[in-house]
Amino acid sequence: MLNSIRKTFRKYNNFFFNFGMIITLVFFVLAVVGCFYTPYNTTEMNVALKNSAPALAHIFGCDNYGRDIFSRVMEGIRNTFFISFFTVLIGSLMGILIGAVSGYYGGRLDEILMRINDVMFAFPSVLLALVIISLFGSGTMVVTLALGIAFIPSFARIVRSEYKKQASLDYVQSAKLMGAKDIRVIFVHILPNILPVLVSSVMIGFNNAVLAEAGLSYLGIGVQPPEASLGRMLSEAQSYLFSSPWYALFPGLAIVFMVLGFSMLAEGISSAK
Amino acid sequence: MVQLPVLILQVNNMLLEVKDLTIEFHDHDRPETVVENVSFSLDKGEILGLVGESGSGKSMTAMAIAGLLPRKKMKKSGEIIFEEKNLLTLPRHDLRELQGDEIAVIFQEPMTALNPTMRIGRQVEEALLLHRDMTAQDRKNRAIKYLKAVELDDAERIYESYPHELSGGQRQRVMIASAMINRPKILIADEPTTALDVTVQAQIIDLLQRTNKKLGVAILFISHDLSLISRITHNVIVMQNGHIVEKGNTDEIFAAPKNDYTKKLIAAIPKVELK
Repeated sequence: MLNSIRKTFRKYNNFFFNFGMIITLVFFVLAVVGCFYTPYNTTEMNVALKNSAPALAHIFGCDNYGRDIFSRVMEGIRNTFFISFFTVLIGSLMGILIGAVSGYYGGRLDEILMRINDVMFAFPSVLLALVIISLFGSGTMVVTLALGIAFIPSFARIVRSEYKKQASLDYVQSAKLMGAKDIRVIFVHILPNILPVLVSSVMIGFNNAVLAEAGLSYLGIGVQPPEASLGRMLSEAQSYLFSSPWYALFPGLAIVFMVLGFSMLAEGISSAK
Repeated sequence: MVQLPVLILQVNNMLLEVKDLTIEFHDHDRPETVVENVSFSLDKGEILGLVGESGSGKSMTAMAIAGLLPRKKMKKSGEIIFEEKNLLTLPRHDLRELQGDEIAVIFQEPMTALNPTMRIGRQVEEALLLHRDMTAQDRKNRAIKYLKAVELDDAERIYESYPHELSGGQRQRVMIASAMINRPKILIADEPTTALDVTVQAQIIDLLQRTNKKLGVAILFISHDLSLISRITHNVIVMQNGHIVEKGNTDEIFAAPKNDYTKKLIAAIPKVELK
């Protein structure tokens, strides 16, 4: 078991993958720890520490309410991480389902599904999420769902083109000729063959999800206060950009590195031979 | 070449009968007929050759028998009778029962006919898994038995390998093992040796011939290589532009072809003359 894991990872032993993995793991650990422990209470205000600069006690400094920025960044990473995770999960699962059916069967069904897909694709995903949020109200759950739905078309399109390519190959014909049902051919025979493409597009999806979530929160419709969110912290920090730049710097860096980590992972996976 | 003339005379031994098969494509403005009024029969234990150049409709005929033709954008008429069932009109569910169980197919390209992400063992077992109620251990034993039967030396290792770890000849042997694992009555070999080099080709042909003798499977052998056809088949059908131009006993046809096209084909076989 352990050996086969090691074998799989040896294939990905390149600079991009390793670097991306390290960054992503750091963020993952911060996110998981953030669920149980933050150095300070993330909502506790302390007027004395208002806009105080980074110091030993508060390594990222404090915000305009005197809250510890490091603790809030941790919470923000946690929120972003899990929202992105479920966004990509919803988007990719639905995308696989739609793309597989569409690409495998082709014909009229393919036409109908892909035209619906095009309509959704033509909408900017953030705008689509905005529509859903304004219909169902904001909140973590709705944001996740909205972004997840907005992410379906891009996954569906990638999966469809892969299925179209694979469906004409002999091994698929061969599986059919052994009497395998379509559902078995689609998920047991073809799906593992599109995994390399799927995995790197999932990673890019993560990227976009992080940015989309930060964007929505920045606009004030994502995660609701007092809960911390990286995007919202950025928008609040705008007013203090010159007096206390650390307030904007650290949440911003967190977003940048998160995106960098996922991009490098994607690059590392797709360049692996 | 030893021939079995007995098989040709036993008409009641008929396993598969193709009557007036016509296949038309309807995916363009004008319908295109690729196979027209083709009739022939395949007896039990017979090796029947289907020869013709590219586009002669030989593969289409074979795919129709295998049930692999698309259901849409295509018009099929005539009958393909196997065990009193017409394969052309059989519902998909019933067709699946036959595929991989009674009728099996070997493809031309062993490189692409195996799933690159699945271990050989699982692919050989696939037909067993779908058609037989067996435990995993029984399936494995049987798969290894068949891998050994196709003369793969270390069957246990190959059972655990992936297709990219095998050579072309080994892969084609694996294909034969996986096609034969349910002891089908008909094996359709669609140019099974075209993608292989000559020495491996000879081995695979030998293997097919022995499989035919040992297990009594009828083989529909499709090829454009006449020298192969003359070596392996009992009877032969020559096709051109979707029609059968000549059919009969292989030896007789090769000795005295009646049709002009057949004559040309036979004349085109390169002959080695030793000085």
